[in-house]
Amino acid sequence: MIQKKICLLGASSVGKTSLVKQFVEGIFSEKYQTTIGVKVDKKALIVDDEKINFMLWDIEGNDRYNVFEERYLRGAAGLIIVVDQTRASSLIEGLDIHTLAKQVTSCPAILAINKSDLPSTWHLSSQEQEAYNDLFSLQFNTSAKTGAQVENMFLALAELLLKDKRNDVTTK
Amino acid sequence: MATDTTKEQSEPSQQIKQVRNIILGEQNHLVTESIKKEARTIVTDVVTEALHDRQKQDSSVNRILQPLIEDSVQDSVTHNSERLITSLYPLVGSLVRKSVAAFLSDFIEKTNQLLENSLTITGLKWRLKAWQSGVSFAQYAASQTFVYRVEHVFLIHRETGLLLNEIALTEHGKSDADMVSSMLSAINDFVGDSFLANDEGQKEQLQNVRTDNFNLLIKPGPSALVVAAVIGNPPQQLSNQLQVTLENIHHLYVDELNNFDGDDQHFTNAENLLRDCLLSEHKEENDNERKPWLAIGVLFIVFIYAGFQIFNWSRSQQLHDELIQLENEPGIIIRKLTVNNIDEIEIDVLRDPSAIVITQWLENHDFNIENISILERNYHSLSPQILSLRAEKILSTFPKVSSTWQGNTLSLAGKLSAINSEQLLSKLAVAGFSEELNLNTENLQLISSQAITTSKQIKQQIFEDLISRVSSTQLNFPVAGEKITTKMQVSLAHVFQYIHQLELLADELEIDIGLLVIGCSDNTGSKTANKALSVKRASNTAQALINKGLSKDKIFTAGLGQIDIKAIKNTARKVMFNVIYINKPDIDNIEQSTQ
Repeated sequence: MIQKKICLLGASSVGKTSLVKQFVEGIFSEKYQTTIGVKVDKKALIVDDEKINFMLWDIEGNDRYNVFEERYLRGAAGLIIVVDQTRASSLIEGLDIHTLAKQVTSCPAILAINKSDLPSTWHLSSQEQEAYNDLFSLQFNTSAKTGAQVENMFLALAELLLKDKRNDVTTK
Repeated sequence: MATDTTKEQSEPSQQIKQVRNIILGEQNHLVTESIKKEARTIVTDVVTEALHDRQKQDSSVNRILQPLIEDSVQDSVTHNSERLITSLYPLVGSLVRKSVAAFLSDFIEKTNQLLENSLTITGLKWRLKAWQSGVSFAQYAASQTFVYRVEHVFLIHRETGLLLNEIALTEHGKSDADMVSSMLSAINDFVGDSFLANDEGQKEQLQNVRTDNFNLLIKPGPSALVVAAVIGNPPQQLSNQLQVTLENIHHLYVDELNNFDGDDQHFTNAENLLRDCLLSEHKEENDNERKPWLAIGVLFIVFIYAGFQIFNWSRSQQLHDELIQLENEPGIIIRKLTVNNIDEIEIDVLRDPSAIVITQWLENHDFNIENISILERNYHSLSPQILSLRAEKILSTFPKVSSTWQGNTLSLAGKLSAINSEQLLSKLAVAGFSEELNLNTENLQLISSQAITTSKQIKQQIFEDLISRVSSTQLNFPVAGEKITTKMQVSLAHVFQYIHQLELLADELEIDIGLLVIGCSDNTGSKTANKALSVKRASNTAQALINKGLSKDKIFTAGLGQIDIKAIKNTARKVMFNVIYINKPDIDNIEQSTQ
């Protein structure tokens, strides 16, 4: 069985924990997150008849310094940068976090623009869109409230990781 | 000197190297190729010894061979099972026997444990404590029974915190192992980063997480962690074992650990290594010498109790059988007899006052009266013995009357005055005797001697009473019947008695008496015939009385024929009696007044 460590990052209140909640059923209390800065949940997916286990590390956001517990990124196979489409500042913070994370890990990152059920207060210009395409492997407009695109996002990430793995095998 | 020696030693080796270079130089591959040609022979010569030596050195051969052998066996089972079956067949019988025996002994041991845990004070205490500390009873019992016991061993990838393999003592709680691993890694990272690095610049590592009864032993290695969840106090020996296992895993899986891409398939065989860490140690409790005293004790108490109950039951039964004999006594009926216990007996009886007193009977039969509560009510018994007793009692006041029993009939004989006779007969009637059933008074003769003492008025009363008795006697004849039947004889005997008594009284009272015997008939048939029939009935009756001893000249017979009273005229086939009496003084008075 394939297991992958996936980290969720983003400013506070963008809905990281809600996204995870929408996606999994966990055993640990959210108290852990505020205590040590992270909470782990599990979700099993099946992609192309292959079972893949996502260990989702929901890392606590921190507004004040745009810092996060980078130690928890060690060994991650994928990052999900979560931003809030009702708060333009969350995108800036998300990008800062992405830059910081890239200094620690080289794993692929995807952008989740969350709260798609609410009216958005900002849009990516086509120029920005292009710039971010280089930064992020994939981009999704999700809603943790309605569940829109949440499952799809995780499935797409799983496919992406499996594809990378297969490519690795062929190049070896 | 020393340096010289070294020079001397190093020179030859350098020379050899040089020579080798000169001879082979760049042609080194020639040697390698020739060796390759011979490789098989060379290895064949030493392979066994080499394996032996290596096994002795670090026991690593076993671990390499184990998965190979397992795979081979699995392959054999899948593709060539017939051969395996043939080889295993002789073993299976003894294997089954052994496993059944093991199962049985395990079962008995578990049952005894269950009994001990459920029934003893310790067991109850453990349950309470387990409940208080919020752990399952099994877990708490294990913590009390074992010095330590490894419940779960995890192998965790250091970098990603992903679970590579795990082994648990029981299946319970296995599913969360991967989440626990990740979370544990997160906590480990948190601890490592949150506190100062040590002198050598290495980050601090969690080694142990400890609660009252639970220990998490963590052995960190460069690429992986081995974590053991332990109940109780783990000894150093366990820590050493974890270290050895961790080292072995690093040794054997060095490539897999470094190139880990999330696939835990490569680590399936590490289970065998982890299994070495599932250690435990029982608390010493002289287990060998212990006997199942508790079970023996319970059995003993059960037997004693059962024995006591059986004894009680049989004693009660015996008492019941003895007490029920009371009913054989005349004039006593047991309505209900309850023997609850030896000392708790209830008896509900009906008793004739003439019968034996119950407490007397109980004392006679050696019963302890204090244990017996008696509910007694009286009744009137007609049993022959009681009748006999009563008759005896009554007759004791009439010394001149003798009595004999003919079957159940009491025959009286002797002489009595009319009044005493009346008293005796009425007492006997109350006691349950009647002349129709069980009393014969034929031999009882009336005498007048005592009557003198009786006042005239009383005599007069008895006289009138007797007359009314005679008058109330009637004989019933069948249609056209005139013969005196046996039943009529009984009535006639009474009439004879009454007349006899009347004669005696009449003498004393100076009265002349005569008996009228009047016949009558129904209205079927001619009046003449009926008249004749009624006369015949009367004369037959008179003749019967004469036969009994009545004087002929005191009887006057008459036939009335049909009785023309509407209500009775169809059925009046009768003989009636009447006594004509005349006071002598009255006649004298009348005669005097007429003169």
